[in-house]
Amino acid sequence: MREPEEGDERGEVMGRDKGRIQERGERDHGDADGRCTGEVNRRDFLKLAGLASAAAGGAGLGAFGYAAGKDPNTHLGLQNEYGASLVFNRKRYRVDVPTYEKVGPGSRPDARVEQIFERRGRFMREYMQLRSSQGGMGPITPQHFPEPLQRYYLAHPQDLELDRVNVDELQPLLRADSMEYGDAYILAQAWSSAMGAVGPGPVSGPPEQNDFPRGRGGLPVEPLALKDPVRTAELLKAVAMQFGSTLVGITRLNPDWVYGYPIRGRGFPSTEEPLEIPDWWTYAIVVGTPMSWDPMYANPTYGSSEDAYSRSRIAAARLEAFIKALGYPARIHVPGTSYDLMVPPIAIDAGLGEQGRHGVVITPELGSNFRPAVVTTNIPVATDKPIDIGVDDFCLHCKVCAEACPSGAIPMGGKEEVRGYRRWKIDTAKCQNFWTSNLGNMGCRICVSVCPYTRKANWLHKAAMKVTANDPTGLSERVLTGMHKSFYPGPDPEDYYMPSLGGTSASYRPPPWWLRTEDFIDRGGEG
Amino acid sequence: MQIFTSGFFWFVQGILFVVILLAVRAWARDRGLPMPPWKWALFLIWLLFAGFTIAFAGTSFGEGEPTAGLRGGLLFGLVTIIGGVGVWRILLAGGGPRGEGIAGDS
Repeated sequence: MREPEEGDERGEVMGRDKGRIQERGERDHGDADGRCTGEVNRRDFLKLAGLASAAAGGAGLGAFGYAAGKDPNTHLGLQNEYGASLVFNRKRYRVDVPTYEKVGPGSRPDARVEQIFERRGRFMREYMQLRSSQGGMGPITPQHFPEPLQRYYLAHPQDLELDRVNVDELQPLLRADSMEYGDAYILAQAWSSAMGAVGPGPVSGPPEQNDFPRGRGGLPVEPLALKDPVRTAELLKAVAMQFGSTLVGITRLNPDWVYGYPIRGRGFPSTEEPLEIPDWWTYAIVVGTPMSWDPMYANPTYGSSEDAYSRSRIAAARLEAFIKALGYPARIHVPGTSYDLMVPPIAIDAGLGEQGRHGVVITPELGSNFRPAVVTTNIPVATDKPIDIGVDDFCLHCKVCAEACPSGAIPMGGKEEVRGYRRWKIDTAKCQNFWTSNLGNMGCRICVSVCPYTRKANWLHKAAMKVTANDPTGLSERVLTGMHKSFYPGPDPEDYYMPSLGGTSASYRPPPWWLRTEDFIDRGGEG
Repeated sequence: MQIFTSGFFWFVQGILFVVILLAVRAWARDRGLPMPPWKWALFLIWLLFAGFTIAFAGTSFGEGEPTAGLRGGLLFGLVTIIGGVGVWRILLAGGGPRGEGIAGDS
């Protein structure tokens, strides 16, 4: 309600008002003779209250920030099994084509040599045989190896050397350092091992046997008639969330993402016969979960992928069982190495995120802290579109992961063409050699920890992500990258190495209290 | 700490915010300062940035990122102080002798 003295024009002090103001001053501050009435006037009270409110509001905001930063609910993706408070609204970021670029005819990767674990397994077997048969052999050459290793090493001679260094030099050093310094990671390894202890068994047969549901007596099951693919997609996503998945996306399977040859342990009669893509691998449903926050932040030594791998495996296996119960074929492709296909590009196609410079899918909810699994099926279902949240542009300038990577596996330069697609290419041989150069749990994941997108899901980082996703100028990317490098420094890359390689076994951030072995286990009177 | 991320907390913050605005209006009237909408907007922007600075520092410390809290707090705090001085001078511009003006409220 306006007071009588407020009837004047804004900013002007009219003559008639002067009198009123004087009158008001007398009323507020004392009598006409200037004597103080002793009452606190309304304006002075308001001003004091305003100051007090500013102080209280400021303190409250500080406390709010502290609470938001500390809140375990912001540890990315663990809010609730329905993801209600988590899932990013992708609607306005949907695009028709993924942000990776198709520049030529695509081709399927030869898992026998292009999948690092498969190649290193083959190399190890052949190399050990060579060493035992030839004794102190001289330099090894591609010709020492059978196909397809020979062909691959002729085309990639640097990988032959990296594979040899891994076996000849790094593994013995790791064994020695683990004996001397490995006790610090007893709890971390126990935790990782326990996390990975539960999950579905291996796929029991080739697709034509494994994928189809069987009724009583092993008889085929008729698929149930489904009313609407859109509703089916909603159903599958809802149950996948209840099965433990944090994110779910659906896409039509691009054959280029299926390995040309099967990987061991997938039920195929031979890993040397090309993998024929079954007709019923029409759709790929991608599920995924994040790694636990505190260990993930203490990579590479204390962190592990097993917690998220296990959760994703379980969610995918449950989804496979659900789809089979509806009478449709389904097959899981789950981490660590139990895939018939490459998962990251499928997750991108399914709209879960974009490829980062470090090769990992960056999602709006979890950043790089995301471990996916896939179920292939032909259940009639609506698919999702890919998204563009600006990751591609951001990674072009950011390079935080490439600068932090101790092995130099992440490119500092531009994208390369890989089997018909233009993308950032990770040197997996260098990457895995670092796995054998650091103590603690297997792997590294430093690129995941340092990524600016891998931040807690609180107001601050959600806002930063939205700003970059909606800024067409690229200015915010540069400003935020500069701030990130200044505000969140990490160890020097060489410090991540184990002691015998000149490092200090540093971790990106200190481990949580419950992974500090020295605080719980007595190792001969130490501590 | 859960109260600081609750709806009740923001209800209280809203009340405090209104009191701050009333206090500024009272202060401007006492000083005879005209307060057109653009001045209010300027003040609100500054107030939000000051709040952001405090919340940023708190969030960073809560996250276990003291370096971010200190560096960000200093950087944004400096901007808040410099901006505050500028806003202060702009708010004081155009005012009459103390107690003789009326803040425009629209």
